[in-house]
Amino acid sequence: MSNYIKRFSAFDRVVHWVLAVAFFVLVFSGLGLFAHTFFNYFDFFGGPEQGILAHKIAGIVFLITSVLLFFAHARETCRFDSDDGKWIGACGGYLKRGGKEIPQGKFNAGQKLFALFSIVAAVVLGLTGFVIWDPTAMDRGLTQFSLMLHGLFFVLFMMGAVVHIYLATIGNPGTADGMLWGYVRKVWAKKHASKWYKEVAGKDV
Amino acid sequence: MTRKAFMIDTSRCTACRSCQVACKQWNKLPADAEVNRGSYENPAQLTPHLYNKIEFVEKGDGQDFQWLFFNKRCLHCGEAGCIKVCPSAGALYRTAEGLVGFDQEKCISCNYCVNGCPFDVPRYDANNKVTKCHGCFDRVAAGLQPACVKACPTASLKFGDRDKLIAEAKAGGKRIYGEQALGGLNAMYAMDGTPQDYNLAENPSIPQSIFLWKDVIKPLGILGFWGSVGAAMLHYVTVGPKQLEDDIDDQGGE
Ligand code: HEM
Ligand code: SF4
Ligand code: SF4
Ligand code: SF4
Repeated sequence: MSNYIKRFSAFDRVVHWVLAVAFFVLVFSGLGLFAHTFFNYFDFFGGPEQGILAHKIAGIVFLITSVLLFFAHARETCRFDSDDGKWIGACGGYLKRGGKEIPQGKFNAGQKLFALFSIVAAVVLGLTGFVIWDPTAMDRGLTQFSLMLHGLFFVLFMMGAVVHIYLATIGNPGTADGMLWGYVRKVWAKKHASKWYKEVAGKDV
Repeated sequence: MTRKAFMIDTSRCTACRSCQVACKQWNKLPADAEVNRGSYENPAQLTPHLYNKIEFVEKGDGQDFQWLFFNKRCLHCGEAGCIKVCPSAGALYRTAEGLVGFDQEKCISCNYCVNGCPFDVPRYDANNKVTKCHGCFDRVAAGLQPACVKACPTASLKFGDRDKLIAEAKAGGKRIYGEQALGGLNAMYAMDGTPQDYNLAENPSIPQSIFLWKDVIKPLGILGFWGSVGAAMLHYVTVGPKQLEDDIDDQGGE
């Protein structure tokens, strides 16, 4: 019997990693516009104008992949139950060592909240990005408001991504496997997503 | 360096528009093709080739009719929204005299600055580079008067030490626009009538969204990012990761 269980399809994985690459292109090109300290990041793109162009292209890729990833998992990520309430109350057990895990579905409550935040933020960034595509084209007040909102969600997404990357890698050993090649260890599933494990263990071993 | 400024006395202006022409001449700016809009005001807006212009404001009618002439230009704000939003340090900059100049070599064509400006001043030329009144910083640095000021036959436009100009205008009993607002404008108006007559805000300020973006979200965001990185590292070395027990893979369900 295999020690592994399937978690993400090839489609999920490819979409996720295209999204992640687009995200980093957006971060580095966006930072050049965000503050003088980071202006030199434009060198990486061959100059400011090219950096802005890269940002626009990556923005489109990011918005499309965000929507695809959201709908690929919407069935799991949009449903919350009483165990999720308990999980949030206990801060996912991240505040102390070795506590008992609260049973969770395919995604825990924190992951679901991050997935929902991600799609909301991606849409807000996409809409405001459309408005500021040419900052002289639309209503002045709307453009100013969009510049502000774009900056705000950029910052929030950066903070979210730091936490996400930490928890998906060294914070929870074994998690990255699922997104890298599709399978996670059963012991991982039993620990982190016991309800999901029970549901699929019978069918997919 | 003492702070220099323009003082524009609206009551002295006869709308001869020598200033418009002198600016074009000094800056080698081409004419804009225009249409007749039933007004002597021309062009309707500042353009990439027009750094100052006379606005013709019509007020009242019949016996009460008044024609107000207003020299529209960059006001060289002491706290300049255009500099605040510009991503490329030095594309818009403050001269030693306190004026706001621009350097097209450094402009990255992002078109942000007009959104930071409370007065809708910056324009973008055919190469999508910033243009606006630069206060004739080159002439001023050489001890000359700005070209528009030099050309003004009625002394409606004055340029000099800011404090002196303010004292003069006050002694003449004029209402001054821009003495305090936005860190003090370096192009002020000795104003006939009220700011509303000229479609100006009574107390101009940096647009609210722009203030939030650059003075709140930006610093807090940078703090928040490093805070998140710090929190993750602290979590790892204090609480630590959720390790898997290594030997129980194959013991079936719960
Ligand atoms: C190098 C960086 C990254 C790593 C190592 C990483 C890793 C992972 C892993 C392992 C998962 C699956 C978690 C699980 O099995 O439950 C995942 C899911 C996810 N990742 Fe990332 N990720 C990275 C970057 C990003 C970025 C930059 C974003 C957002 C812009 C992002 C958005 C998501 C979302 C939304 C999901 C959840 C899918 C869903 O719930 O619908 N990831 N990531
Ligand atoms: S008037 Fe506008 S362009 Fe001129 S200094 Fe002020 S913010 Fe900048
Ligand atoms: S268009 Fe040029 S001057 Fe204006 S904000 Fe962008 S880089 Fe600065
Ligand atoms: S100060 Fe110079 S650039 Fe500005 S309007 Fe006068 S002539 Fe033109």
